[in-house]
Amino acid sequence: MRRARNPNHAIAATIAVVALCAIAATFTFEPVPPGLPGLGAVEFPRLVSGILLALALVLGLTAASPPTEEEVPRVSGQAWVIFALCLGFLPLVDMIGMIPAIPIFLLVVGRLWGGTAWPSLLLSALGMGIGIWIVFVKIFRLTLPKGWLGTMLGL
Amino acid sequence: MEGFLGGLAILVDPWVMLMVFLGTVLGIFVGALPGISGSTTIALMLPMTIAMGPIPAICFLGAIYCAANFGGSITAIMVNAPGDPSASATALEGYKMAEKGQAGLALGMSAVSSAIGGIFSIFVLIIAAPLLARAAYSFGPPEYFALAVFGLSMCAAIGGDSAVKNLIAAALGVLLATIGMDLTTGTERFAFGIDELADGIKFVPVLIGLFAVGEMLDQVVRRAEKAKIIAMDAARVPGMAEFRKCNRSIWLGSVIGTFIGALPALGATTAALIGYNETRRWSKHKEEFGKGSIEGVAGPEAANNAAVGGSMVPTLALGIPGSATTAIILAGLIVQGVRPGPHLFTEQPTLLYAVFASMLAANLFYLGLGLYMAKFFARISLVPPAILWPSVFVLSIIGAYGPDQSMGDVVIMLIAGVVGFLFRRTGFSPAPLIMGLVLGGKMEETLKQSLIIFGDDVSLFATRPIAMTLLAITAVGLLWPLFSRLWRLRVAPR
Repeated sequence: MRRARNPNHAIAATIAVVALCAIAATFTFEPVPPGLPGLGAVEFPRLVSGILLALALVLGLTAASPPTEEEVPRVSGQAWVIFALCLGFLPLVDMIGMIPAIPIFLLVVGRLWGGTAWPSLLLSALGMGIGIWIVFVKIFRLTLPKGWLGTMLGL
Repeated sequence: MEGFLGGLAILVDPWVMLMVFLGTVLGIFVGALPGISGSTTIALMLPMTIAMGPIPAICFLGAIYCAANFGGSITAIMVNAPGDPSASATALEGYKMAEKGQAGLALGMSAVSSAIGGIFSIFVLIIAAPLLARAAYSFGPPEYFALAVFGLSMCAAIGGDSAVKNLIAAALGVLLATIGMDLTTGTERFAFGIDELADGIKFVPVLIGLFAVGEMLDQVVRRAEKAKIIAMDAARVPGMAEFRKCNRSIWLGSVIGTFIGALPALGATTAALIGYNETRRWSKHKEEFGKGSIEGVAGPEAANNAAVGGSMVPTLALGIPGSATTAIILAGLIVQGVRPGPHLFTEQPTLLYAVFASMLAANLFYLGLGLYMAKFFARISLVPPAILWPSVFVLSIIGAYGPDQSMGDVVIMLIAGVVGFLFRRTGFSPAPLIMGLVLGGKMEETLKQSLIIFGDDVSLFATRPIAMTLLAITAVGLLWPLFSRLWRLRVAPR
């Protein structure tokens, strides 16, 4: 019979890789003139990375019950699409500017999320866009990115 | 007392009072929204407070902190979904009361016991914080270093394999704090030629990413889960008989909450869970627990709100955060140019006492709002997630972009968001990482100063009794589980 996989092993290995990379990166720091009292620039990060490595080892040796579906639900295909849309928000801002991008993002992601009718989503998306424009642009005088389109239109 | 009266005088300022009121309403609002905690909101609001000036900003954030703990109990009672993690213990009995048709009574008791716990802890804060600050005047770099180590080690006190995970998260936070220019040698560390990293990791994008974006991404995966909502009657003030029954639970919860809150790293959630257990232990009606005990609502609610004042004691007096939320408030103070610590009590007493007074006012505000508008706030949980969470993401983007108007900060926020999401999926809490990030700089600075004082001889820490005591407590606390396991193996029958 196959033994249940201990999820701590993968986590511990990842943490150990991070710690080792951090230690390796300290060797790329510019050297400090000798003779300075106290700790230099590299010792503290190396000390912390060493502790991190030791803790990763302890975690790897710690037994863990496998997570249940309730604790860690599977990432569905639709969830991946929403993640991609979140990432896609930045290029959209670059293209059409922050204020127009907000209602579009809210509408599309809200629709994918499900459970809410189009009219409610449209109303809330427009309300949010206008609200953000009033609070941040008009009251707080924040300059939000205008994007390629905004610059082209001279807004 | 003069300082406190000065602080109270600041509340006459309509702008400050408005901020406290808005903070209280917002705190209850977000506290009642399952998934959005007080710490997430404070992280989101941090950039907006930069333009306010230190006093209104801190009063606003303090009011959110006070009210969010209470707000969390509304949905804990009504939908069995604690709006704030600190209300998880309240859900155990509160939801059972709601199922029995006593939702209004549960909400009323929650509001009253929360306010009593909160006000009790603020009076403790007013008395204890200056005393602690006075004692801290004798602290030098070795003592502060030991205190920071002790504070981070407390992250392990949550138990299970999460103790190791919390320590890992704290160490990662300390490592993140080393990014950027080393102030003593001028060496650039872990910046890899990226301009945004050269000045070090900024608190605001990381906080927003870890808490708000991380939670939003987690909610994307969990969006199929639905909570059952119970019809409610309006909140009502508990009668004398109910008060007599809960009297002991409220005071027990208040004392436990204040004490737990004052310990670095342990916040309102731990206080509420311990408050619930102790309330049950000392109750004369143990048989009611698990079936909708009003004492089981009063005890943890008093405890989680008392933890707010308690956690502000080390935050303001020593600059060591008492909880994840106070770590964010501490970051807010630093962004405002205020450096918490003992000198605050002599240099900026008005600011400090304004914080105390505003927290007192926030407790009174949410008592009134909780009793008369609980039904309205309970409706907040009906906001469709399809509208709520994408809006949180958009606000996070603006929150990260706002302070320096840099898209680089937005990218850092998104990376922190992915880290926060992965943390949630692998059983890590983002709170210790924030503690490490906030304390990391202080830890390195004081260690370096200590070694200069000691001429690089680490053994001279032994000549500093306070530092040695703190380091010894830290070592015992960290090694205790290991020794107890070895002891059990030794005495176990073969």
